[in-house]
Amino acid sequence: MDFLQKVSQTATIIAVAANALGTLVVLALVAVVNYDAIARGALNRPFMGAVEVVQFSMVLIVFLQLPDVIRVNRLTRSDGFLILIGKRWPVLSRVLGQILNVIACVFMLLVAVAIWPEFLDMLETRDYFGIPGVFTAPWWPIKLVVFLSASLCCLLFALKVLAGQDTFPTPADSHIVD
Amino acid sequence: AHATETIKAVVIDGYPAKAMWVREFTDFFIPEVDKRLAESGNFKMQWQESYGGSIVKPKGVLEGIELGLGDIGIVTTIFHSSKLPSQALSAVTPFVASDARAVARAVDEIAKEFPAMQREFEKQNQVYLATGVVLDTYQVFSREPISSVNDLKGAKVAGAGMNLRYLEGIDGAVGVRGGLTDFYSMLQTGLVDQAMLWPEAAATFKIAEVGPYMLQADLGAVNTKTVTVNADYWKKLPDEVKNVMGEVAVAYRDHIASIAMDNAAASRKAYVDAGGTIVELDEAERVAWANAMPNIALEWAAELDGKGEAGTDMLKAYLAKLSKAGFTPLRDWSVK
Amino acid sequence: MDPIQIGSLSVVAIIFLIYLGLYIPIALGIVSFVSIWLMRDNFDLAMNLLKIAISDSAMEYTFATVPLFTFMGLVVSKAGMGTDIYEVMNAAFQRIRGGIGMATVGANAVFAAVTGSSIASASVFATVAVPQMLRYGYNRRFAVGVVAGSSVLGMIIPPSAMLIIYSFVAEQSVGDMFLAGILPGLILAIAYVLAIAVTGRLAPTLIGEVTVEEGTRLSAGEYASKTLPLVLLVTVVLGGIYTGWLTPVEAGAAGALLGLLIALVRRRMTVRTFWEALLETGHITAAILFLITAASIYSRMLGLAGLPNMLGELIAQNQLGFIAIMIIYVSLMLFLGTLLDTASIILIVVPLFLPLIEPMGLSLVWFGIVTVVGAEIGLLTPPLGISCFVIKSTLNDDRISLMDVFLGALPFAMIMLCVLVLLIRFPQLSTALL
Ligand code: NA
Ligand code: NA
Repeated sequence: MDFLQKVSQTATIIAVAANALGTLVVLALVAVVNYDAIARGALNRPFMGAVEVVQFSMVLIVFLQLPDVIRVNRLTRSDGFLILIGKRWPVLSRVLGQILNVIACVFMLLVAVAIWPEFLDMLETRDYFGIPGVFTAPWWPIKLVVFLSASLCCLLFALKVLAGQDTFPTPADSHIVD
Repeated sequence: AHATETIKAVVIDGYPAKAMWVREFTDFFIPEVDKRLAESGNFKMQWQESYGGSIVKPKGVLEGIELGLGDIGIVTTIFHSSKLPSQALSAVTPFVASDARAVARAVDEIAKEFPAMQREFEKQNQVYLATGVVLDTYQVFSREPISSVNDLKGAKVAGAGMNLRYLEGIDGAVGVRGGLTDFYSMLQTGLVDQAMLWPEAAATFKIAEVGPYMLQADLGAVNTKTVTVNADYWKKLPDEVKNVMGEVAVAYRDHIASIAMDNAAASRKAYVDAGGTIVELDEAERVAWANAMPNIALEWAAELDGKGEAGTDMLKAYLAKLSKAGFTPLRDWSVK
Repeated sequence: MDPIQIGSLSVVAIIFLIYLGLYIPIALGIVSFVSIWLMRDNFDLAMNLLKIAISDSAMEYTFATVPLFTFMGLVVSKAGMGTDIYEVMNAAFQRIRGGIGMATVGANAVFAAVTGSSIASASVFATVAVPQMLRYGYNRRFAVGVVAGSSVLGMIIPPSAMLIIYSFVAEQSVGDMFLAGILPGLILAIAYVLAIAVTGRLAPTLIGEVTVEEGTRLSAGEYASKTLPLVLLVTVVLGGIYTGWLTPVEAGAAGALLGLLIALVRRRMTVRTFWEALLETGHITAAILFLITAASIYSRMLGLAGLPNMLGELIAQNQLGFIAIMIIYVSLMLFLGTLLDTASIILIVVPLFLPLIEPMGLSLVWFGIVTVVGAEIGLLTPPLGISCFVIKSTLNDDRISLMDVFLGALPFAMIMLCVLVLLIRFPQLSTALL
């Protein structure tokens, strides 16, 4: 149990740190788009990489924050049925909840496994997106972020199963996104 | 009498069925293959056509064919400068030919004579069939009257992809990136002074309303489409079917290029009817513009040479083919 | 089993698993994965599709509108702009029976133009409007119902995360969808106000033993300071998009920056609330875009199975007309709306029905408005009605049960349904501003 707690703590720290980093990317996104619009309109000097940087930041925001979303149990779900049966058959409800977390864990594992060779391939071929001579950005960091994120998500779901609870102990409220 | 074998083919493109090259795939490519196969009666195709994002989006065709989501597809090559660098051949050689038919044929022949283009598709697990050109030439559409390259100095010009680099030699001119659908409002609001697009797109997006002056710069036709087949699927095809598909792909190449030219002529007329004015750019000015540009063709060739492909030779051969067809480059892109 | 059977079964399986409580994106992703694998009998193909969908879907440029508008909405709520506009509306409606209710609707409609979600509206107005209505003797069910009902305006009047999601699935321009949302949103707001007025006349007890209040009057200066910042934001954001000066992404970024500046100037923002707004934005963006990513695997699975084509043939064979299709469509959305959130409903139903709508020559922009309004009714219906949940938890008042909130919201859900019928019958209401 001690080992499990240590893993759980480490995973929590990484998820929170990634989340903070992703948060800063939101701020950077606001800055870049405004800079491009102002530089183009007022200074006649548009930022030619705005499109690629925005695309890049979207991936960063989503995949840096996803583990924390999972950690605090804010991934979109409809748990009315679980709560309902939990009132009469708490054990059944808990077992069902565990099974659902196993399914989620498997899915994130599939994602990680699918993206890893893609990362290696992009690292080797140095594939990029954008327009050569105008602005280009390499693909491999994106694939790496997705891989690391999916792996962490997979771990977090596994920990939920092992710990038998949906949220990890840190001060954060949870409700469904809409 | 012998039995006829039925072969299934899933055709994909992310663009909708009403896009010209997709429509002609349905109305020309498919019936033509069926007709030629019917002559021997050995094989019969069973087509499943999935267009318009039902399986892939426009940018996803290359990967869709690679992974076998579709057997045959129309790849829009400009989205993939990284994976398909040699496909930029006509985009890096502006001011050579504003004739979709000639450019389509020249690029297609280069693809078949030099291994580079086919190898790039091979790496993506697909077989190159033919090149498609649907864009006869970029022109400059302007809010204010325009008659010379001087009018572009210090201006903001909307463009997309490689054509942004055409502005590099013009003093103070800056390219503003935008999608085709944004150009109307970019011109309307004065966000840009000019926009580079081809006459058919100008007619489709009613550019005459906001950019009533067209500077006929004839920057040149660009190849943007390639018909490819999934390599695993191709391997299993009988030779007869392979041959028919190869022949029909070439016919399709010429067919859509000539439709593109007809559309271009009609679109120019529509532009004028809608109140647009066309001003021809002086030959000397065109030469000056071409010479002012950085030599993006050599950059392109050097990049390919560096990868062990015959970039410089491809460039020379391509220009020679167009010369032979009667299109003299305003600038010899193969020399410094 | 042929692909169509596998495809149909997987739609059923997805809905079943979601109702069991599986995370919605996981349900969409894993069931689609398994069905593609079975359909083509090719595990690698399923893996490859997963690979494409996961890293490409989030990379759409226009998706930047999601974090940008979310952030703007959070900043303006934290800056107290919702409360401001409510006070202004209240001063205007104060002498009418049901006036505070009408003021709530009006304030929601204006506030909707600067926020992209209904959660923000529901929580802001639950805290300011409900206590005041209770103080003046309003029926408690009416008080919470009007807040719940009008919170949906947040996602119909642009900017709106739901219009953005639809525009992605249906490949329509975000700008067009935003413009199309304006009139339907206003029509719904007017319908609410009229309903309150008529009820006040015919069945005043439903609203309550209201003492017509003599509230404080606002000075001209107060009017100005409470409305001008909002007017400025709306002008920049919607005006920018409407004139074409700004793309939706740029409008979002400009709105976020401007909202932040206004909050700073008015000293309504601390470092802590600023950071909270950023964190919240990231969480919402990640959850929504991950959902969209999973849904893109689902819609490709449908395409590979040929399910939409089959639905089209089925409808042609049975000679189902426009009205029948719409009845099926709206019923399906209402059914899913019992348990699902709006985004999930849109992502599940649109790929199924889009291929039927397009050949009928119907406007896809109009179809988007119908979809968003129809899916939003689910915010108000039990057992899972997110607006109602937010109001209940924000109020934290023992006198008001969740049942009260749902019963109070019910008449407003009915009005939404009537407006939806109107929007279906008269597509011009959605397309007039384009
Ligand atoms: Na809104
Ligand atoms: Na509901």
